[in-house]
Amino acid sequence: MVRVLIGDDHEVIRRGLRQMIERRNGWTVCGEAASGAEVERLAAELAPDVVILDVSMPSTDSVEVTRRLRAAHPATEILIFTMHEGEEMIRALIGAGARGYLLKSDPTTQVYAAIESLAEHKPYFTPKVSEALREAFLKTIPESGGKTPPTLLSAREREIIQLLAESKSNKEVATKLGISVKTVETHRATIMRKLGVSSVVELVHYAVRNKIISP
Amino acid sequence: MTVRILIADDHAVIREALRGLISQRPEWQLCGEARNGREAVELAKSLRPDIVVLDLSMPELNGLEATRQIRKLLPKAEILAFTMHETEDLVTQVIAAGARGYLLKSDAMAHLGHAIEALAQHKPFFAPAVSQIMLDAVAGGARTDGSGGIERETLTPREREIIQLLAEGNNNKTISAALGLSVTTVQTHRAAIMRKLDIKSIAELVRYAVRNKIIDA
Repeated sequence: MVRVLIGDDHEVIRRGLRQMIERRNGWTVCGEAASGAEVERLAAELAPDVVILDVSMPSTDSVEVTRRLRAAHPATEILIFTMHEGEEMIRALIGAGARGYLLKSDPTTQVYAAIESLAEHKPYFTPKVSEALREAFLKTIPESGGKTPPTLLSAREREIIQLLAESKSNKEVATKLGISVKTVETHRATIMRKLGVSSVVELVHYAVRNKIISP
Repeated sequence: MTVRILIADDHAVIREALRGLISQRPEWQLCGEARNGREAVELAKSLRPDIVVLDLSMPELNGLEATRQIRKLLPKAEILAFTMHETEDLVTQVIAAGARGYLLKSDAMAHLGHAIEALAQHKPFFAPAVSQIMLDAVAGGARTDGSGGIERETLTPREREIIQLLAEGNNNKTISAALGLSVTTVQTHRAAIMRKLDIKSIAELVRYAVRNKIIDA
């Protein structure tokens, strides 16, 4: 028996998840919560195997909720279920102990696969999230100098992302930062590689998602 | 009298919930499911539903554009806009595009049944928060100088479609294939868009699209 607690402030989403889950033999929804506080209360009361957690519930810090759930109930797995989050948010949630990450746009088969994995205490990440996870993992491997960079992107790279997303050309970026165009080109290539993006369009999406610029 | 309903939402979990809700009523029949706006228009054309429940923020062709196109193709079909967003700008545009129902996802479980019942009789249905926006607009006098409204009016439906595809990272060639146009025509549209919006770069175009909820970032 797999017992699932659903935490989402939208009733329509809870309803859809409940229908999906209860169609499977041996799976049951043991509770529904509409806020982070309710999730914590019900998790303590019901000891579910898996908590499906929406990260955009009102007045809820989902990173903190995840951290506290993991500390209080180590046997309960947390599956993040979200519209789309910035890469930084994904890393914070994984750092807080979430072991599954699913997008609301993922097909039903992936919802099943995610719950199945977590019920066996195996992590599950949707392909897009796996990429962010890989980057986060890579940063934990010390570089040749032995120092671990504090974040995926350097401060200079972030600065350049912002300027590029604000439509500045390589030349304008160079002038603004007092560096050569060639250096900007190198930074730009590194940024694209690190973020796994291949166009300025994707770069702007990244910048908006991660609140580097407002749209 | 059976009411035939087409649902369009890119989230499987929402489609699942809508399917469940619709199946509870014997007089309602789910005739199709679409995962983006373009599919919704195609399915509306072939299935001729009475009601289309349409998510507004779908990839490829968003719900606002799909509303315009479906209303044009099937003037008798009623559109129920179904969304997370309740910004004044969006409500105004969706209603102007011909949707006679506007339901927030947060109200879905309580009001979907009422909304479909009303639309099946060609009567409008608006979520309470949306009615409030409309009341405020009427009480405040019809404002014609809404920022953003004017610049958008000058864009054609085709141009808005191309903005969405560009902002989703497509190039001229893939857009021409998706819309069945020549690359030169796409280039012409693209130049007209840049001129009308007074923008000079693709980065600005993406931000325009996100700001105006044509796409999500």
